[in-house]
Amino acid sequence: MSSVTTVRAGIPGRIILILLMIVTVVPFVSVFITALHPSGTYPSGIALPATPHWENFVQAFQVADMGALLLSSGIIVLAVVPISMLISTMAGFALGHLRPPGSRIAFLAFVLGLTLPLEGIITPLYYQVRSMGLLNTRWAIILPLIGLYMPFAIVWMRAHFIGMPAEITEAARIDGASTWQLFWRVQVPLARPALSSLGILLFLWTWNQFLLAIVLVDDPLKRTMAGALGAFQGQWGTNIPLLCAGALLILTPTLIVYLVFQRAFISALLEGSVKA
Amino acid sequence: MTGIVTTPEVATPPATAAARPERRRSTRRRSGRGALVGWLFLLPATVFYIAFVLWPILSTINYSFYDWNGITPATFVGVQNYVALVTQPELLGSIINAFVLIIFFSLIPTALGLVIAATIRGISGSRLAGIARVVLFLPQIIPLVAAGIIWTWLLSTDGLINQLLRGIGLGGITRAWLGDFTTALPAVGVIGAWVLLGLCTLLLLSGMSKLDPSLSEASRLDGAGAVREFLSITVPLLKAEIGVCITVTVIAALASFDIIYIATQGGPGNSTMVPGLQIFYLAFTQREVGLASALAVALMVLVLAVVLPIQRIFRGNDQ
Amino acid sequence: MEKTRPKRRAAIRVPALAGMALAAVLGLSACAPGGSAAPSQTTATFAGGTPTCGTKPVTMNAYFETGFPLPKALTDEFTKQHPNVTWNIREDQFAVITQNAARTLSDSAPDLMRLPSIADLAKEGLLKNLDGYATAFGWDKWPASQLEQLRVDKSGSRGSGSLYAQGLNFSLTGVFYNKDLAKKAGITGTPTTLAELDADLAKAKAAGITPIAQFNGGATGGLAFPLQQLMAAYGSPTSINDWVFQKSGADIDTATNKQAAAHLEKWVKAGYFASDVNSLDYAGMMSRFIGGKSLFIFDGDWESGNLDKQMAGKAGFFLMPSATAGGKQAAMSAPLTYGIAAGAKHADCAATFLNWVATDKTARSIAVKVGGSHPMGLADAYMPEVDSSTVTGQTLAAGATVSKDNGAMDFIANATNAIYAKSWTPQLQSLVAGRVSSDDLLKSVQSDYLSQIKQ
Repeated sequence: MSSVTTVRAGIPGRIILILLMIVTVVPFVSVFITALHPSGTYPSGIALPATPHWENFVQAFQVADMGALLLSSGIIVLAVVPISMLISTMAGFALGHLRPPGSRIAFLAFVLGLTLPLEGIITPLYYQVRSMGLLNTRWAIILPLIGLYMPFAIVWMRAHFIGMPAEITEAARIDGASTWQLFWRVQVPLARPALSSLGILLFLWTWNQFLLAIVLVDDPLKRTMAGALGAFQGQWGTNIPLLCAGALLILTPTLIVYLVFQRAFISALLEGSVKA
Repeated sequence: MTGIVTTPEVATPPATAAARPERRRSTRRRSGRGALVGWLFLLPATVFYIAFVLWPILSTINYSFYDWNGITPATFVGVQNYVALVTQPELLGSIINAFVLIIFFSLIPTALGLVIAATIRGISGSRLAGIARVVLFLPQIIPLVAAGIIWTWLLSTDGLINQLLRGIGLGGITRAWLGDFTTALPAVGVIGAWVLLGLCTLLLLSGMSKLDPSLSEASRLDGAGAVREFLSITVPLLKAEIGVCITVTVIAALASFDIIYIATQGGPGNSTMVPGLQIFYLAFTQREVGLASALAVALMVLVLAVVLPIQRIFRGNDQ
Repeated sequence: MEKTRPKRRAAIRVPALAGMALAAVLGLSACAPGGSAAPSQTTATFAGGTPTCGTKPVTMNAYFETGFPLPKALTDEFTKQHPNVTWNIREDQFAVITQNAARTLSDSAPDLMRLPSIADLAKEGLLKNLDGYATAFGWDKWPASQLEQLRVDKSGSRGSGSLYAQGLNFSLTGVFYNKDLAKKAGITGTPTTLAELDADLAKAKAAGITPIAQFNGGATGGLAFPLQQLMAAYGSPTSINDWVFQKSGADIDTATNKQAAAHLEKWVKAGYFASDVNSLDYAGMMSRFIGGKSLFIFDGDWESGNLDKQMAGKAGFFLMPSATAGGKQAAMSAPLTYGIAAGAKHADCAATFLNWVATDKTARSIAVKVGGSHPMGLADAYMPEVDSSTVTGQTLAAGATVSKDNGAMDFIANATNAIYAKSWTPQLQSLVAGRVSSDDLLKSVQSDYLSQIKQ
């Protein structure tokens, strides 16, 4: 593209881009300012309070029990993400590389699950988890989530393994490696980029999972972050400044992780199209 | 619940496309022991998938033929729940609302995203664009519940939106946007559009950055207008990305739950009731598990029936 | 102490996750759903004597409604008097409690829980039958009307049968007004007929004051308050109670109720309600009323203590006037309903607490001063002194009028579990938006009601 067109496209482009960023950010700013108003009041739009009430954040931190919330979400993520990654990578390897007889049907069955809305199966999941005696435990979120992630994670990993050249396998086979060794020592290390993107996506979806949390777990301290935020809203939804402070606090850990790993996050979320 | 269902699709089209060219056959694969090993690798994932996805799907279908309150024994009622689905206005209405949401969740972010991406394409390498990427992804990172809470406040009587309207002399149209029968559903739609616009824009932008710049140069030399160039050259080349955008956002619209649960609880009246929320209420508040399950089956079928043709349309030419 | 417990399996701890998943698949092969997981109907039984909280440390699991200080004030005082009892309290807004009630009772089995409509919950065996406690503590000697609404018979109708819940106090509704705004609108006295109330509303409107900022947003159709008050102004509380108690043949779509609904519609059309009532929540209503932005609100005496504190001397209360001069006055009056889950671990202690609330002097003072409402219990039990010019004093006095007029009625939103969220709320929101006529409103509520009680 010539430099002339770049400049010409540049100015309206910059204006639009800045506008779009404002539209994205202003809601957060509005909520932040609201959070500084006296607890229990109904502030009006964006209007600075006479004195900022930082204590709302302290109060929200205490009533939401943020420390325990972080721990709970952390436990759930630590259980869901590694297990999902391991078993979906194994399955992706089987479907993309080993291809045992019948694997096409298995693949189709997983693809079918890609579009499944969780609401479609939430009712039986509730009764199933209840009959397993796991309601109100973190298992109630962990186990179904692993199952629900399988379609996406397997399709994702299968795509990676299909793209791997066959020579790698042949070389390993000649060295006398077993299938497990081939998988664990050779293929998994090579799959690191695909795996790290998958890990980021699964982390984010787990952290933000809402419906499973509100249906299967009553205690906010055993929920995911989004579920806990739902509980916070259910309890403090009528106290606008406190609600805003709590919502921001609950968002903060995600935002920090996002800003630290922004490049990885964005490329994970866009990866599909970037690869094409 | 966009989380689980949406972004998967982002990744699949290129993946499957890439899968086609190489069909390597390893001789070892066909042997009995190889098959066993292959299935052993598949086993853990398959067990979880069957236990927590396929089995619940079958249970939903099974429940949908019963009248059950979740506690006392169920009675078989045949297709009665499905009849209720098409005869009870509030159930049918929730499905219609979900389709209206497609306009906001899907068409607006995709169309607007295309325009914005085309406008900022020239500066996609600049530092501003780098910052913009980070910012525009924010709504994708936060839980939808948070988006719901934030926007409920913005759209309230005393919220920012009304304040802005008054500021520009449109005080006459201010209202409680989420509490008004005519504006509640569009207002919920705006929340969804806000969440999804950044994702669509960046998806499309990354698609555009891969296009060969000489194509547009050539058309410009031919004297084609910018708009015509955009419609006749850029858009068709972005077919795959547009398909991804539409698929992701349509599923988000049809399966919406979190935002509406927080912002309106389906009200006022039933004007923002959607199938996802209706299932939740039916199953857990009214405890009409059979009816909830029939609606759930309808929702699952509906999503497939809408998404499959979209996939076909937008992927057809690539292969 | 308790003999029966619902069938709840202890958490399964299978080390291998895959094994657990597989177990789920194999274990769930029954065809028709249902039946097995229901807790059995339980009646309190004791080894002998009156139940107590014992002397060992007990942590009570409780589920309360957010925004109302009374239960917390009572549990704090109870712990002061019984140091071995501590409380683990979860709170939610009432609409959320309504959504969660059945699941929470069956899955978490709280020892003490704020309850929405109890009929379905009792019928399904989720609530502890309190008859045994009633005998042990002598609750059966209280005025029968206090506990009537908390009884459910075998067919699931309320009003008679076994006792399934208790009250922390019993509340009363009517109209609160802002004295300054009334003066500004030129209103000189409290209305004694419905026509006078209409005139007051018109005066406020003419003076540029919002007559009524009633909550009606989200899942909470607060216009049910004025509607039911109007129903009682035109008709009798008895037929309304029959409907709420699911007596056979009960109908909400009666001639006098139609008049009431039409009257409410008239108020809507006249612009007597704030323009954004359909997005106004309860806390928003209170904030506006206390902030002097609304002349009237239709609400209950649970706010009396709060208003005496926040609007000292500036708020007043009157009972809804009748349509005819000198007619009887009625109010929604209901125990602040708390129950014990059928599977609660510390049911005895919870029942002991409920009895203490009604009998302990300090507890009764708290019920009045913090809760603003009349305590439960014997008619001649201790009552704290209350200044009759305060809102609390006015609502307590109103209670006497209502009981003289036999005007206590249960809330129309309590008729079935889903009637409030699925019928009253959307219908009343539609009425405000002019999308449904008052006649059609009652017709569709009645048809929803019939389909809901049929189950």
